[in-house]
Amino acid sequence: MAATISIRNVSRRFGETWALRPVDLEVAAGEFIALVGPSGCGKTTLLRIVADLVEPSSGEVRIGPDTARRARQERLLGLVSQRPAVLPWKRAIDDVRFTQRIAGKVGFDPGKVLREFGLEGHEAKRARQLSGGMLQRVNIASAIAHDPAVLLMDEPFAALDEMKREEIGEWFDRELAMRPKTVLFVTHHIDEAVMLADRLLVFSPAPGRVLEVVDVPVPRPRDVSFRQDPRFVAIAAHVRGLLMHRQAA
Amino acid sequence: MTPPDLALSADIGTAEKRSASGPARSRQVAVAMLRVAAPVASVLLLWYCSIWFSGLPAFVIPRPERVLEVLWVDHAFILEHLWATLQVAAIGFLWANVAGIGLAVLFDLLPPTRHLLLPAAITLRNVPYIALISVLMLAFGDSILSKTSIVALSGFFPVLVNTMAGLRAADEVQLDRMRILNASWWQTFSQVRLPYALPSIVAAQEITGSGAIIVAIAAEWMISSTGLGYVINNAMQNYRGDKVYAVALLATALSFLIFSFVHSLGKRLDWRTGYQQRG
Repeated sequence: MAATISIRNVSRRFGETWALRPVDLEVAAGEFIALVGPSGCGKTTLLRIVADLVEPSSGEVRIGPDTARRARQERLLGLVSQRPAVLPWKRAIDDVRFTQRIAGKVGFDPGKVLREFGLEGHEAKRARQLSGGMLQRVNIASAIAHDPAVLLMDEPFAALDEMKREEIGEWFDRELAMRPKTVLFVTHHIDEAVMLADRLLVFSPAPGRVLEVVDVPVPRPRDVSFRQDPRFVAIAAHVRGLLMHRQAA
Repeated sequence: MTPPDLALSADIGTAEKRSASGPARSRQVAVAMLRVAAPVASVLLLWYCSIWFSGLPAFVIPRPERVLEVLWVDHAFILEHLWATLQVAAIGFLWANVAGIGLAVLFDLLPPTRHLLLPAAITLRNVPYIALISVLMLAFGDSILSKTSIVALSGFFPVLVNTMAGLRAADEVQLDRMRILNASWWQTFSQVRLPYALPSIVAAQEITGSGAIIVAIAAEWMISSTGLGYVINNAMQNYRGDKVYAVALLATALSFLIFSFVHSLGKRLDWRTGYQQRG
Protein backbone atom coordinates (compact mmCIF):
# COMPACT_ATOMS: atom_id res chain seq x y z
CA MET A 1 0.00 0.00 0.00
CA ALA A 2 1.33 3.43 -0.93
CA ALA A 3 -0.23 6.90 -0.97
CA THR A 4 0.17 10.10 -2.94
CA ILE A 5 1.73 13.15 -1.30
CA SER A 6 0.69 16.64 -2.25
CA ILE A 7 2.84 19.53 -1.02
CA ARG A 8 1.32 22.90 -1.85
CA ASN A 9 3.08 26.18 -1.19
CA VAL A 10 4.64 24.79 1.99
CA SER A 11 7.12 27.08 3.72
CA ARG A 12 8.60 27.51 7.18
CA ARG A 13 9.97 30.60 8.87
CA PHE A 14 11.55 30.89 12.31
CA GLY A 15 10.94 34.55 13.17
CA GLU A 16 12.44 36.55 10.33
CA THR A 17 14.54 33.65 9.08
CA TRP A 18 13.37 31.41 6.28
CA ALA A 19 14.09 27.75 6.96
CA LEU A 20 12.26 26.74 3.81
CA ARG A 21 11.00 28.85 0.91
CA PRO A 22 7.59 27.85 -0.53
CA VAL A 23 7.70 24.37 -2.09
CA ASP A 24 5.18 22.66 -4.38
CA LEU A 25 5.44 18.98 -5.18
CA GLU A 26 3.12 16.20 -6.26
CA VAL A 27 4.34 12.68 -5.47
CA ALA A 28 2.69 9.63 -7.02
CA ALA A 29 1.85 6.56 -4.95
CA GLY A 30 4.92 4.33 -4.71
CA GLU A 31 7.27 7.02 -5.97
CA PHE A 32 10.72 7.50 -4.39
CA ILE A 33 11.72 11.14 -3.99
CA ALA A 34 15.19 12.13 -2.78
CA LEU A 35 15.68 15.56 -1.22
CA VAL A 36 19.25 16.65 -1.95
CA GLY A 37 21.05 19.80 -0.91
CA PRO A 38 23.62 21.35 1.39
CA SER A 39 23.23 21.42 5.18
CA GLY A 40 20.62 23.84 6.48
CA CYS A 41 18.73 24.10 3.18
CA GLY A 42 15.42 22.92 4.67
CA LYS A 43 15.30 19.27 3.53
CA THR A 44 14.73 17.92 7.01
CA THR A 45 12.28 20.74 7.78
CA LEU A 46 10.20 19.73 4.75
CA LEU A 47 10.35 16.07 5.82
CA ARG A 48 9.23 16.98 9.35
CA ILE A 49 6.38 19.10 8.00
CA VAL A 50 5.17 16.11 5.97
CA ALA A 51 5.54 13.99 9.14
CA ASP A 52 3.40 16.53 11.05
CA LEU A 53 6.25 17.03 13.50
CA VAL A 54 6.68 20.68 12.45
CA GLU A 55 3.91 23.15 11.58
CA PRO A 56 4.32 24.89 8.22
CA SER A 57 4.21 28.69 8.17
CA SER A 58 2.18 28.52 4.99
CA GLY A 59 0.63 25.95 2.69
CA GLU A 60 -0.58 22.44 3.34
CA VAL A 61 0.43 18.79 2.93
CA ARG A 62 -1.99 16.08 1.89
CA ILE A 63 -1.29 12.36 2.16
CA GLY A 64 -3.84 10.80 -0.18
CA PRO A 65 -7.08 12.61 0.71
CA ASP A 66 -5.96 13.33 4.31
CA THR A 67 -4.09 16.19 5.91
CA ALA A 68 -0.64 15.32 7.29
CA ARG A 69 -2.10 15.37 10.83
CA ARG A 70 -4.91 13.02 9.92
CA ALA A 71 -2.43 10.70 8.14
CA ARG A 72 -0.23 10.64 11.26
CA GLN A 73 -3.23 9.98 13.49
CA GLU A 74 -4.26 7.16 11.14
CA ARG A 75 -0.70 5.75 11.45
CA LEU A 76 -0.10 6.05 7.70
CA LEU A 77 3.44 7.38 8.20
CA GLY A 78 6.74 5.69 9.02
CA LEU A 79 9.87 7.57 10.08
CA VAL A 80 13.49 6.46 9.77
CA SER A 81 16.02 8.79 11.39
CA GLN A 82 19.77 8.98 10.95
CA ARG A 83 20.21 7.74 14.51
CA PRO A 84 18.35 4.46 14.95
CA ALA A 85 15.22 4.75 17.10
CA VAL A 86 15.60 1.16 18.33
CA LEU A 87 14.91 1.11 22.08
CA PRO A 88 18.22 0.07 23.68
CA TRP A 89 16.61 -2.14 26.32
CA LYS A 90 14.51 -4.14 23.83
CA ARG A 91 15.47 -7.13 21.71
CA ALA A 92 15.31 -6.53 17.95
CA ILE A 93 12.13 -8.56 17.49
CA ASP A 94 10.46 -6.90 20.48
CA ASP A 95 11.28 -3.49 19.06
CA VAL A 96 9.50 -4.39 15.82
CA ARG A 97 6.53 -5.74 17.80
CA PHE A 98 6.57 -2.54 19.87
CA THR A 99 5.80 -0.44 16.77
CA GLN A 100 2.89 -2.73 15.95
CA ARG A 101 1.57 -2.56 19.52
CA ILE A 102 1.72 1.23 19.71
CA ALA A 103 0.26 1.65 16.22
CA GLY A 104 -2.40 -0.96 16.90
CA LYS A 105 -1.63 -2.46 13.49
CA VAL A 106 0.16 -5.66 12.54
CA GLY A 107 1.61 -4.98 9.11
CA PHE A 108 3.92 -8.00 8.90
CA ASP A 109 5.08 -10.96 10.91
CA PRO A 110 8.07 -9.44 12.79
CA GLY A 111 10.13 -12.64 12.69
CA LYS A 112 9.57 -13.01 8.95
CA VAL A 113 10.47 -9.39 8.27
CA LEU A 114 13.69 -9.65 10.28
CA ARG A 115 14.61 -12.85 8.45
CA GLU A 116 13.95 -11.16 5.11
CA PHE A 117 16.06 -8.23 6.27
CA GLY A 118 18.98 -10.63 6.72
CA LEU A 119 18.73 -10.65 10.51
CA GLU A 120 18.06 -14.34 11.05
CA GLY A 121 19.74 -15.40 14.29
CA HIS A 122 19.91 -11.80 15.52
CA GLU A 123 16.24 -11.41 16.49
CA ALA A 124 16.95 -11.74 20.22
CA LYS A 125 19.87 -9.30 20.24
CA ARG A 126 19.72 -5.82 21.70
CA ALA A 127 20.95 -2.64 20.01
CA ARG A 128 24.42 -2.81 21.58
CA GLN A 129 24.94 -6.30 20.22
CA LEU A 130 24.22 -5.34 16.60
CA SER A 131 26.54 -3.77 14.04
CA GLY A 132 25.68 -0.35 12.59
CA GLY A 133 24.26 -1.88 9.40
CA MET A 134 22.19 -4.45 11.31
CA LEU A 135 20.89 -1.79 13.67
CA GLN A 136 19.75 0.36 10.76
CA ARG A 137 17.95 -2.68 9.27
CA VAL A 138 16.13 -3.22 12.57
CA ASN A 139 15.34 0.50 12.57
CA ILE A 140 13.79 0.26 9.09
CA ALA A 141 11.95 -2.97 10.02
CA SER A 142 10.48 -1.20 13.06
CA ALA A 143 9.53 1.84 10.96
CA ILE A 144 7.59 -0.27 8.45
CA ALA A 145 6.24 -2.86 10.92
CA HIS A 146 2.77 -1.27 10.89
CA ASP A 147 2.82 -1.13 7.07
CA PRO A 148 2.74 2.67 6.63
CA ALA A 149 1.75 4.07 3.24
CA VAL A 150 4.49 6.72 3.34
CA LEU A 151 8.04 6.26 4.54
CA LEU A 152 9.95 9.39 5.59
CA MET A 153 13.71 8.86 5.82
CA ASP A 154 16.14 11.43 7.19
CA GLU A 155 19.68 10.51 6.12
CA PRO A 156 19.13 6.93 7.23
CA PHE A 157 22.46 5.60 5.95
CA ALA A 158 24.64 8.61 6.83
CA ALA A 159 26.30 6.90 9.80
CA LEU A 160 27.41 3.91 7.71
CA ASP A 161 30.67 3.60 5.81
CA GLU A 162 30.66 3.76 2.01
CA MET A 163 30.58 -0.01 1.42
CA LYS A 164 27.86 -0.65 3.95
CA ARG A 165 25.87 2.32 2.66
CA GLU A 166 25.87 0.94 -0.90
CA GLU A 167 25.06 -2.56 0.28
CA ILE A 168 22.13 -1.50 2.48
CA GLY A 169 20.89 0.91 -0.21
CA GLU A 170 20.63 -1.89 -2.76
CA TRP A 171 18.99 -4.15 -0.22
CA PHE A 172 16.47 -1.42 0.66
CA ASP A 173 15.64 -0.88 -3.04
CA ARG A 174 14.83 -4.59 -3.39
CA GLU A 175 12.72 -4.50 -0.20
CA LEU A 176 10.69 -1.63 -1.56
CA ALA A 177 9.93 -3.66 -4.68
CA MET A 178 8.31 -6.28 -2.40
CA ARG A 179 6.54 -3.76 -0.16
CA PRO A 180 5.85 -0.64 -2.24
CA LYS A 181 5.75 2.62 -0.33
CA THR A 182 5.90 6.27 -1.20
CA VAL A 183 9.28 7.45 0.06
CA LEU A 184 10.71 10.88 0.90
CA PHE A 185 14.44 10.40 1.41
CA VAL A 186 16.73 13.14 2.72
CA THR A 187 20.40 12.75 1.81
CA HIS A 188 23.61 14.70 1.22
CA HIS A 189 24.86 11.88 -0.93
CA ILE A 190 24.22 12.55 -4.63
CA ASP A 191 25.17 9.06 -5.89
CA GLU A 192 22.92 7.43 -3.31
CA ALA A 193 20.03 9.68 -4.33
CA VAL A 194 20.48 8.92 -8.04
CA MET A 195 20.80 5.20 -7.34
CA LEU A 196 17.59 4.98 -5.29
CA ALA A 197 15.20 7.72 -6.35
CA ASP A 198 12.69 8.23 -9.17
CA ARG A 199 13.10 11.97 -8.82
CA LEU A 200 15.53 14.26 -7.02
CA LEU A 201 14.44 17.53 -5.44
CA VAL A 202 17.60 19.64 -5.51
CA PHE A 203 17.64 22.42 -2.91
CA SER A 204 19.64 25.66 -2.93
CA PRO A 205 21.75 26.61 0.12
CA ALA A 206 19.84 28.32 2.97
CA PRO A 207 17.29 29.80 2.77
CA GLY A 208 16.24 26.65 0.97
CA ARG A 209 14.22 26.63 -2.20
CA VAL A 210 13.88 23.98 -4.87
CA LEU A 211 16.38 24.59 -7.68
CA GLU A 212 15.27 21.79 -9.93
CA VAL A 213 13.38 18.51 -9.92
CA VAL A 214 15.59 15.96 -11.68
CA ASP A 215 14.10 12.76 -13.13
CA VAL A 216 15.92 9.42 -13.02
CA PRO A 217 14.16 7.64 -15.88
CA VAL A 218 15.31 4.10 -15.02
CA PRO A 219 12.99 1.54 -13.44
CA ARG A 220 13.61 0.40 -9.85
CA PRO A 221 15.01 -1.74 -8.27
CA ARG A 222 18.31 -0.93 -9.89
CA ASP A 223 21.29 -3.19 -10.19
CA VAL A 224 24.73 -2.17 -8.92
CA SER A 225 25.79 -1.95 -12.58
CA PHE A 226 23.62 1.19 -12.87
CA ARG A 227 26.47 3.09 -11.22
CA GLN A 228 28.50 2.60 -14.41
CA ASP A 229 25.56 3.55 -16.64
CA PRO A 230 26.15 6.79 -18.61
CA ARG A 231 22.73 8.03 -17.50
CA PHE A 232 23.72 7.63 -13.83
CA VAL A 233 26.98 9.47 -14.43
CA ALA A 234 25.24 12.25 -16.38
CA ILE A 235 22.47 12.78 -13.79
CA ALA A 236 24.91 12.73 -10.85
CA ALA A 237 27.17 15.22 -12.68
CA HIS A 238 24.20 17.46 -13.46
CA VAL A 239 23.04 17.50 -9.80
CA ARG A 240 26.60 18.07 -8.61
CA GLY A 241 26.90 20.95 -11.06
CA LEU A 242 23.65 22.48 -9.83
CA LEU A 243 24.78 22.38 -6.20
CA MET A 244 28.35 23.53 -6.86
CA HIS A 245 27.17 26.37 -9.08
CA ARG A 246 24.76 27.60 -6.41
CA GLN A 247 27.31 27.30 -3.66
CA ALA A 248 29.88 29.21 -5.72
CA ALA A 249 27.25 31.88 -6.51
CA MET B 1 45.34 -19.92 10.49
CA THR B 2 43.86 -23.24 9.35
CA PRO B 3 40.93 -24.86 11.18
CA PRO B 4 43.11 -27.45 13.02
CA ASP B 5 45.37 -24.60 14.18
CA LEU B 6 42.34 -22.79 15.48
CA ALA B 7 41.13 -25.90 17.31
CA LEU B 8 44.59 -26.40 18.82
CA SER B 9 44.85 -22.82 20.00
CA ALA B 10 41.33 -23.05 21.45
CA ASP B 11 42.38 -26.18 23.37
CA ILE B 12 45.50 -24.46 24.66
CA GLY B 13 43.42 -21.44 25.67
CA THR B 14 40.96 -23.63 27.57
CA ALA B 15 43.78 -25.50 29.29
CA GLU B 16 45.44 -22.22 30.28
CA LYS B 17 42.13 -20.91 31.56
CA ARG B 18 41.57 -24.11 33.57
CA SER B 19 45.05 -24.05 35.15
CA ALA B 20 44.81 -20.33 35.84
CA SER B 21 41.33 -20.50 37.29
CA GLY B 22 42.49 -21.57 40.79
CA PRO B 23 45.09 -18.83 41.41
CA ALA B 24 42.91 -16.29 39.57
CA ARG B 25 39.98 -17.02 41.88
CA SER B 26 42.24 -16.72 44.95
CA ARG B 27 43.52 -13.40 43.63
CA GLN B 28 39.95 -12.16 43.16
CA VAL B 29 39.02 -13.19 46.73
CA ALA B 30 42.15 -11.46 48.06
CA VAL B 31 41.33 -8.24 46.18
CA ALA B 32 37.73 -8.31 47.42
CA MET B 33 38.90 -8.80 51.03
CA LEU B 34 41.43 -5.99 50.65
CA ARG B 35 38.68 -3.67 49.39
CA VAL B 36 36.74 -4.26 52.61
CA ALA B 37 39.71 -4.40 54.95
CA ALA B 38 41.55 -1.32 53.68
CA PRO B 39 38.89 1.28 54.57
CA VAL B 40 38.21 -0.41 57.93
CA ALA B 41 41.93 -0.42 58.72
CA SER B 42 42.37 3.22 57.71
CA VAL B 43 39.39 4.32 59.86
CA LEU B 44 40.74 2.35 62.84
CA LEU B 45 44.20 3.83 62.35
CA LEU B 46 42.76 7.36 62.29
CA TRP B 47 40.65 6.59 65.33
CA TYR B 48 43.58 5.31 67.42
CA CYS B 49 45.79 8.18 66.27
CA SER B 50 43.09 10.63 67.43
CA ILE B 51 42.97 8.95 70.85
CA TRP B 52 46.77 8.91 71.22
CA PHE B 53 47.59 12.38 69.93
CA SER B 54 44.56 14.47 70.98
CA GLY B 55 44.71 13.71 74.67
CA LEU B 56 40.91 13.98 74.87
CA PRO B 57 39.10 12.01 77.59
CA ALA B 58 37.49 8.61 76.88
CA PHE B 59 33.94 9.98 76.98
CA VAL B 60 34.84 12.25 74.01
CA ILE B 61 36.84 9.65 72.05
CA PRO B 62 36.30 6.14 73.37
CA ARG B 63 38.36 3.23 72.14
CA PRO B 64 36.80 1.20 69.28
CA GLU B 65 36.64 -1.96 71.38
CA ARG B 66 34.64 -0.08 74.03
CA VAL B 67 32.17 1.06 71.34
CA LEU B 68 31.73 -2.53 70.15
CA GLU B 69 31.22 -3.64 73.73
CA VAL B 70 28.43 -1.05 74.19
CA LEU B 71 26.81 -2.28 70.98
CA TRP B 72 26.89 -5.83 72.31
CA VAL B 73 25.80 -5.10 75.90
CA ASP B 74 23.04 -2.61 75.01
CA HIS B 75 21.93 -4.33 71.81
CA ALA B 76 18.32 -4.91 72.98
CA PHE B 77 17.87 -1.23 73.91
CA ILE B 78 19.59 0.01 70.73
CA LEU B 79 17.66 -2.37 68.47
CA GLU B 80 14.37 -1.18 69.95
CA HIS B 81 15.24 2.41 69.09
CA LEU B 82 16.76 1.40 65.76
CA TRP B 83 13.38 -0.04 64.79
CA ALA B 84 11.72 3.32 65.59
CA THR B 85 14.30 5.16 63.48
CA LEU B 86 13.89 2.74 60.58
CA GLN B 87 10.13 3.31 60.61
CA VAL B 88 10.57 7.09 60.46
CA ALA B 89 13.21 6.81 57.72
CA ALA B 90 11.20 4.35 55.61
CA ILE B 91 7.90 6.27 55.78
CA GLY B 92 9.68 9.58 55.15
CA PHE B 93 11.59 8.06 52.24
CA LEU B 94 8.34 6.77 50.77
CA TRP B 95 6.68 10.19 51.10
CA ALA B 96 9.71 11.88 49.54
CA ASN B 97 9.39 9.60 46.52
CA VAL B 98 5.65 9.92 46.19
CA ALA B 99 5.95 13.72 46.32
CA GLY B 100 9.10 14.01 44.17
CA ILE B 101 8.18 11.52 41.45
CA GLY B 102 4.50 12.49 41.59
CA LEU B 103 5.25 16.19 41.05
CA ALA B 104 7.73 15.46 38.22
CA VAL B 105 5.12 13.28 36.46
CA LEU B 106 2.48 15.98 36.96
CA PHE B 107 4.84 18.58 35.41
CA ASP B 108 5.34 16.28 32.42
CA LEU B 109 1.62 15.63 32.03
CA LEU B 110 0.48 19.22 32.62
CA PRO B 111 3.43 21.57 31.90
CA PRO B 112 1.67 24.73 33.27
CA THR B 113 1.64 23.15 36.75
CA ARG B 114 5.42 23.36 36.67
CA HIS B 115 5.31 27.16 36.68
CA LEU B 116 2.72 27.04 39.44
CA LEU B 117 4.27 24.49 41.81
CA LEU B 118 8.03 24.40 41.13
CA PRO B 119 8.69 27.86 42.70
CA ALA B 120 6.84 26.68 45.81
CA ALA B 121 8.97 23.52 45.92
CA ILE B 122 12.17 25.56 45.52
CA THR B 123 11.05 27.98 48.25
CA LEU B 124 10.28 25.09 50.58
CA ARG B 125 13.72 23.66 49.84
CA ASN B 126 15.38 26.94 50.85
CA VAL B 127 13.51 27.50 54.13
CA PRO B 128 15.93 26.70 57.01
CA TYR B 129 15.17 23.19 58.28
CA ILE B 130 15.25 24.37 61.89
CA ALA B 131 12.30 26.67 61.16
CA LEU B 132 10.42 23.86 59.38
CA ILE B 133 11.07 21.46 62.24
CA SER B 134 9.85 24.04 64.76
CA VAL B 135 6.62 24.56 62.82
CA LEU B 136 6.09 20.80 62.44
CA MET B 137 6.81 20.30 66.13
CA LEU B 138 4.21 22.96 67.01
CA ALA B 139 1.71 21.42 64.60
CA PHE B 140 2.11 17.71 65.32
CA GLY B 141 4.23 17.48 68.49
CA ASP B 142 6.47 14.43 69.08
CA SER B 143 4.65 12.20 66.62
CA ILE B 144 5.63 9.98 63.72
CA LEU B 145 3.93 12.50 61.43
CA SER B 146 6.26 15.34 62.39
CA LYS B 147 9.40 13.20 62.08
CA THR B 148 8.44 11.56 58.78
CA SER B 149 7.48 14.98 57.40
CA ILE B 150 10.98 16.23 58.15
CA VAL B 151 12.55 13.22 56.38
CA ALA B 152 10.19 13.66 53.42
CA LEU B 153 10.89 17.39 53.15
CA SER B 154 14.64 16.83 53.13
CA GLY B 155 14.43 14.03 50.56
CA PHE B 156 11.79 15.02 48.06
CA PHE B 157 13.72 17.77 46.30
CA PRO B 158 16.60 15.61 44.96
CA VAL B 159 13.99 13.08 43.78
CA LEU B 160 11.94 15.82 42.07
CA VAL B 161 14.92 17.44 40.34
CA ASN B 162 16.46 14.15 39.22
CA THR B 163 13.15 12.74 37.98
CA MET B 164 12.43 15.94 36.04
CA ALA B 165 15.89 15.83 34.47
CA GLY B 166 15.50 12.12 33.70
CA LEU B 167 12.11 12.57 32.05
CA ARG B 168 13.59 15.34 29.89
CA ALA B 169 16.56 13.15 28.95
CA ALA B 170 14.52 10.87 26.69
CA ASP B 171 16.06 10.55 23.24
CA GLU B 172 14.39 12.94 20.74
CA VAL B 173 14.59 10.23 18.07
CA GLN B 174 12.51 7.93 20.26
CA LEU B 175 10.03 10.70 21.01
CA ASP B 176 9.66 11.41 17.26
CA ARG B 177 8.98 7.72 16.77
CA MET B 178 6.20 7.84 19.36
CA ARG B 179 4.72 11.01 17.82
CA ILE B 180 4.71 9.51 14.33
CA LEU B 181 2.88 6.47 15.76
CA ASN B 182 0.39 8.83 17.43
CA ALA B 183 1.18 7.26 20.81
CA SER B 184 -0.79 8.41 23.84
CA TRP B 185 0.84 10.36 26.69
CA TRP B 186 0.79 7.24 28.84
CA GLN B 187 2.42 5.09 26.13
CA THR B 188 5.18 7.66 25.59
CA PHE B 189 5.64 8.09 29.33
CA SER B 190 5.68 4.43 30.31
CA GLN B 191 7.59 3.08 27.31
CA VAL B 192 10.14 5.83 26.62
CA ARG B 193 10.29 8.68 29.14
CA LEU B 194 10.22 6.56 32.30
CA PRO B 195 12.83 3.99 31.21
CA TYR B 196 15.12 6.85 30.16
CA ALA B 197 14.51 8.53 33.54
CA LEU B 198 15.18 5.40 35.63
CA PRO B 199 18.96 5.90 36.01
CA SER B 200 18.37 9.47 37.26
CA ILE B 201 15.59 8.37 39.61
CA VAL B 202 17.80 5.64 41.07
CA ALA B 203 20.67 8.13 41.46
CA ALA B 204 18.31 10.29 43.54
CA GLN B 205 17.50 7.27 45.74
CA GLU B 206 21.19 6.93 46.58
CA ILE B 207 21.02 10.41 48.13
CA THR B 208 17.51 10.24 49.60
CA GLY B 209 17.73 6.60 50.79
CA SER B 210 20.96 6.91 52.74
CA GLY B 211 20.09 10.47 53.84
CA ALA B 212 16.74 9.33 55.27
CA ILE B 213 18.48 7.53 58.17
CA ILE B 214 20.64 10.53 58.99
CA VAL B 215 17.74 13.02 58.82
CA ALA B 216 15.49 10.70 60.87
CA ILE B 217 18.17 10.57 63.59
CA ALA B 218 18.53 14.36 63.48
CA ALA B 219 14.75 14.81 63.80
CA GLU B 220 14.61 12.38 66.72
CA TRP B 221 17.57 14.12 68.36
CA MET B 222 15.58 17.36 68.36
CA ILE B 223 11.99 16.39 69.07
CA SER B 224 11.64 12.72 69.96
CA SER B 225 11.61 10.38 72.93
CA THR B 226 12.29 7.35 70.74
CA GLY B 227 14.78 6.35 68.04
CA LEU B 228 18.55 6.50 67.68
CA GLY B 229 18.48 10.31 67.75
CA TYR B 230 16.92 10.18 71.18
CA VAL B 231 19.55 7.61 72.28
CA ILE B 232 22.34 9.98 71.19
CA ASN B 233 20.73 12.92 72.98
CA ASN B 234 20.25 10.90 76.13
CA ALA B 235 23.78 9.51 76.00
CA MET B 236 25.25 13.00 75.59
CA GLN B 237 23.42 14.28 78.63
CA ASN B 238 24.94 11.38 80.60
CA TYR B 239 28.46 11.86 79.20
CA ARG B 240 28.22 8.47 77.45
CA GLY B 241 30.37 9.17 74.46
CA ASP B 242 30.80 5.44 73.92
CA LYS B 243 27.05 5.09 73.34
CA VAL B 244 27.02 8.06 70.97
CA TYR B 245 29.80 6.43 68.97
CA ALA B 246 28.00 3.08 69.01
CA VAL B 247 24.84 4.64 67.55
CA ALA B 248 26.90 6.66 65.04
CA LEU B 249 28.68 3.49 63.95
CA LEU B 250 25.38 1.68 63.49
CA ALA B 251 23.79 4.58 61.61
CA THR B 252 26.81 4.92 59.32
CA ALA B 253 26.78 1.20 58.57
CA LEU B 254 23.04 1.36 57.82
CA SER B 255 23.38 4.37 55.51
CA PHE B 256 26.26 2.68 53.75
CA LEU B 257 24.24 -0.53 53.35
CA ILE B 258 21.25 1.35 51.94
CA PHE B 259 23.51 3.29 49.57
CA SER B 260 25.19 0.07 48.38
CA PHE B 261 21.84 -1.70 47.93
CA VAL B 262 20.32 1.17 45.94
CA HIS B 263 23.53 1.54 43.92
CA SER B 264 23.58 -2.13 42.93
CA LEU B 265 19.83 -2.05 42.21
CA GLY B 266 20.44 1.02 40.05
CA LYS B 267 23.07 -0.82 38.07
CA ARG B 268 20.57 -3.59 37.33
CA LEU B 269 17.87 -1.13 36.31
CA ASP B 270 20.22 1.00 34.22
CA TRP B 271 19.69 0.06 30.57
CA ARG B 272 22.83 2.06 29.69
CA THR B 273 25.06 -0.56 31.36
CA GLY B 274 27.20 -1.88 28.55
CA TYR B 275 25.19 0.08 25.99
CA GLN B 276 27.16 1.99 23.39
CA GLN B 277 25.41 4.56 21.25
CA ARG B 278 26.21 4.01 17.62
CA GLY B 279 26.78 7.01 15.43
